Amino acid sequence: MFDIEFGNNGEIVCAGRLDAAQCEKAQSFMDTVAEARTVDFQGLEYISSAGLGVLLKTQKRLADTGAGLKIINVNKHIHDVFRYSGFHAIFEIETPEG
Amino acid sequence: MHKKFARSYNSLEDIFKFTELFFDSENVAASVRFPVHFVMEELFTNMVKYNPGNTHDILLDVDFNESRVTVTLTDYDVDEFDVTVQRNVNTELPLEERKVGGLGVHLIQKMVDTLQYRYKDRQSEITFSKELGLENV
Repeated sequence: MFDIEFGNNGEIVCAGRLDAAQCEKAQSFMDTVAEARTVDFQGLEYISSAGLGVLLKTQKRLADTGAGLKIINVNKHIHDVFRYSGFHAIFEIETPEG
Repeated sequence: MHKKFARSYNSLEDIFKFTELFFDSENVAASVRFPVHFVMEELFTNMVKYNPGNTHDILLDVDFNESRVTVTLTDYDVDEFDVTVQRNVNTELPLEERKVGGLGVHLIQKMVDTLQYRYKDRQSEITFSKELGLENV
């Protein structure tokens, strides 16, 4: 199961498991984002490389307008994937530990 | 424990449920479950993506002993694609030079402890293992 929606403060809230079968849903949502946003991964348990592709595609599109995504509450496992992918250098990322 | 899965991204949910049941029965720690699921998905979706016309199901075998989880995926009537070959992936490129995709095999190689590829008679067999951490001791 994977859910994505706007939170009360305009942040993007993700929950569940973002695997290859859920990427179309995630990409359709992200394609509606037109300005800088915070993405809250508090409830996101898992992401695959297909999910990384959704984030990267969105970040590249937003960068053309000078905006970008900030990803917060990234769990340790997902943070490891970000690190191996070099995403820590192209996204602003916050873990629960800071 | 083994099971065959239909060649579709929609099989992922069943694959995760299948392995979660197994992990629960063996009390496998989350620190091991995540990379095992990640690598399993990467290998399975590659098999789906690069052999779309193939009608064979994909065999998944998961094994556990006191020190590691071992997973084997077997695919039938496919071309050779050796996932153990090192890819030249530059993860330090700036955003504007990044391309979407192409990280999968690099991440597989980063996340496993062992990775083997066997190819014979158009049958592809990939085995990887992940050591159990201290949480499982």
